[in-house]
Amino acid sequence: MARLEIDWTRCDGHGLCATLLGGDVALDEWGFPVLKGREITAGELPDARRAVLACPALALRLDKSVKGY
Amino acid sequence: MKTLQATSVIGDARLLAGLDQGRLDRQAHLWTHGAQPELTRAAYSELCEAVGLKGRGGAAFPVARKLASLPERGIEAVVVNGSESEPISRKDRMLLTLSPHLVLDGATGLAHALGAPHVLIAVHDAEAAMSVREAILERGDRLAIEVTETPGRFVAGEARAVLSALEGGPAVPPGRKVLPTQQGYHRRPTFLSNVETFAQLAVLARMGSRRFATTGVSAEPGTQLLTVAGAVQRPGVIETPIGVPLDTVLRYTGADPGPVLLGGYHGRWLPEASQQPLQGTGIVLALGADTCPLGEVHRVAQWLASQSAGQCGPCVFGLAGLADDFGRIVRGDTSGWYDAQRHLGLVPGRGACAHPDGAARFLASALEVFDDDLRRHLGENRGCGRPVHGVLEVSHG
Repeated sequence: MARLEIDWTRCDGHGLCATLLGGDVALDEWGFPVLKGREITAGELPDARRAVLACPALALRLDKSVKGY
Repeated sequence: MKTLQATSVIGDARLLAGLDQGRLDRQAHLWTHGAQPELTRAAYSELCEAVGLKGRGGAAFPVARKLASLPERGIEAVVVNGSESEPISRKDRMLLTLSPHLVLDGATGLAHALGAPHVLIAVHDAEAAMSVREAILERGDRLAIEVTETPGRFVAGEARAVLSALEGGPAVPPGRKVLPTQQGYHRRPTFLSNVETFAQLAVLARMGSRRFATTGVSAEPGTQLLTVAGAVQRPGVIETPIGVPLDTVLRYTGADPGPVLLGGYHGRWLPEASQQPLQGTGIVLALGADTCPLGEVHRVAQWLASQSAGQCGPCVFGLAGLADDFGRIVRGDTSGWYDAQRHLGLVPGRGACAHPDGAARFLASALEVFDDDLRRHLGENRGCGRPVHGVLEVSHG
């Protein structure tokens, strides 16, 4: 079980994630990703990993635990 | 900028005890509050659990849970976040300026209990910093206590931005969501909380949970500090039992009738005074009835956009877009309203910190509560006929 996560301090809105993972990522009017927020299943993991590696800003991540105050 | 130092109390004075005589030096502090008892970590956890003490910086995170998430050993620092970057709030700098020993007792007491060698105090206000430094010289704590002045930008007060500033880095939140209790000061476990939280801890350690719980509401006993501002005759910081009705506070401070803002520029609007119990909010602002509410909110929208650290795209573009949308709404351009609706959906949850979320909450609540004004602005008259008086301060604190 994993979820896509964006480091917003790194994201520059290149938009590759939306091209590679059209089902999970859309782009807003400024070109920044909008995540659908659903769980990435085991079968989809390879595609998701490829998108993470393709992000030119190293902003897209797969996170297994998302924490926060 | 006016410094609000007027203090008053409804019910018991705990945090503000003795302040009718002015600033409490070491001797006056001991005279008023008595010595800080030495408690163990387990005792602090029990006390916080028993009274449901919550952090007083706005997020209201349970202190007992924060303590429980710290590891058994290796805790590096206790950090007092006194950056108070919300522009209306004055309670923290007031405590640091007038009752610095109470805050230091809370911080050093907990640091001893946790075995943390450092106590770090992040302060933005110069007078507050001076008062704390003076207080430290009066004490004989066997700890390294450091006071650091932090920049005043809104997001610089965010917990992880404060840690970054204390380490000598930029005062901006990092992109990774890490918990200070796991990776805080120099990536070591750290207990960080707001100034008032430490003052409450000092009071709680002295009173014990039973006496502490003699005021407030049963789920969250105790007192709270509120900064009361805006169209009120007696603005300032006031200590009340938790759960005091909003009405009581407004009447006590001589507020003009009209809409009320709770929780500052990341908070929510109410159309008018009500019996609503006040809990988990540190700011009450009365807008009054003479000023144009949407014009006031527009000024704050511009300020909120200017306070973005500039790190995260949706915050930079979204808040700038919203400031422009609100400007068009005020001028009677309906397209501003439609754009605002869309932008309000695009901002929350899309940043390294909660600034976009808080700003969107404040603006969305304004559109909801100022429904009638919205109709007047977007109708034939293209306005509500009232000038913008600047009741909502946006100067840099």
